[in-house]
Amino acid sequence: MKRFPWEWLIAIVVGFSLGLLYAWVISPVRYIDITPNTLRADFKDQFRIAIAASYASTHDLGRAKARLALLGDSDSNQALTAQSQRMLAAGESIDVVQQVAQLAANLLGGLAQIQPSAMATVSQKTAIPTAAATGSGTAAPTIPVESPTIESTPAIVFTPTPRPTHTPVPTPGAPYILIAQDTVCNSNLTDGLMQITVVDKHNHQIPGVEIIISWSGGEEHFFTGLKPEIANGYADYIMQAGISYTVRVAEAGTPAPNLTAPNCPDSGGQTYTGGLHLTFQQP
Amino acid sequence: MPRWIPPLVAIIIGIALGLIYGWVISPVQFVDTTPNSLRADYRADYVLMVAETYHANQDAGLAARRLAIFGGDAPATISAQALQTGQASGYAPNDISMLQELTRAMQAYQPVPTAVESTP
Repeated sequence: MKRFPWEWLIAIVVGFSLGLLYAWVISPVRYIDITPNTLRADFKDQFRIAIAASYASTHDLGRAKARLALLGDSDSNQALTAQSQRMLAAGESIDVVQQVAQLAANLLGGLAQIQPSAMATVSQKTAIPTAAATGSGTAAPTIPVESPTIESTPAIVFTPTPRPTHTPVPTPGAPYILIAQDTVCNSNLTDGLMQITVVDKHNHQIPGVEIIISWSGGEEHFFTGLKPEIANGYADYIMQAGISYTVRVAEAGTPAPNLTAPNCPDSGGQTYTGGLHLTFQQP
Repeated sequence: MPRWIPPLVAIIIGIALGLIYGWVISPVQFVDTTPNSLRADYRADYVLMVAETYHANQDAGLAARRLAIFGGDAPATISAQALQTGQASGYAPNDISMLQELTRAMQAYQPVPTAVESTP
């Protein structure tokens, strides 16, 4: 009977180990020209902040969308909203939070989502500045970009970045006004619950907006978006029975005075403290 | 055939298999990379975002802090590199102008030293 060739097997295993040692440790695949979608999560957050700040300066929604697409988020609006909520919870500057939240809100009311082909165009050709700035829809000049070290990267065919349509300009200075006030009689809710919803002129909910509630002898500040499981532009407060409150949204908001917790009848003929639902809109 | 030939052939085959596995089938994965590994055009676009913001608010300190995402290089160096990339890439004149403005600001920028209490 022929003997099993152990020497061959051992030699192959030794060789395989040497090969792996070389490929993984001595000379691993190197990614030196990476794309933003591989960035660590906190660096992606920094990118979104920079994109939002740039958008706040330029109001160029098409360019902001193209840049967000480079980060590879499946839903840029959701990523921005979640980030603004994390930033709020972390106590970061409200100005920066509002820039992120504003971009999230405007994404919903602006252009259609960037298609994968357009995204590839941006990543391969750095067409963001040229095409977006000129808005000509023509191909940007060919750019001598170094090839990534991975040779198997598929070639991407350049297609012109579509010209953005009209971008709605946000109106950060316009005061929020109370557009709806409803009495809520629901015994399942907390007594005296004041529910507040803040929307923009397109009725898109806005997270990260400061709410100021005041009453005789006191004042409290809080923000929308801290309960995303309910809604992005939602905030709430527990009113005390018999106290009159004034609510305004942001410092410049038009005050909504004389808000009190209503008395609601229950099925037994008794009354309990009901709630309010206020909706504020930025015209 | 000499006795050492078969083991040598086997080792070479093993090395080849190891390289194929390590480089092709299961290469080292980089998922949590840092911005200083970004391709030059992506770096330039980030710097352009900072330049656009700086153009609006003229806050050199904020711009310098945002450029610090790229690590050890001075903000002026980062901005100048982005300007070169932008010029080579055919950025729009307005974008080049903003990158130039940022570069000038970063060259002139002096970080405000943090006050340190003197010890007796």
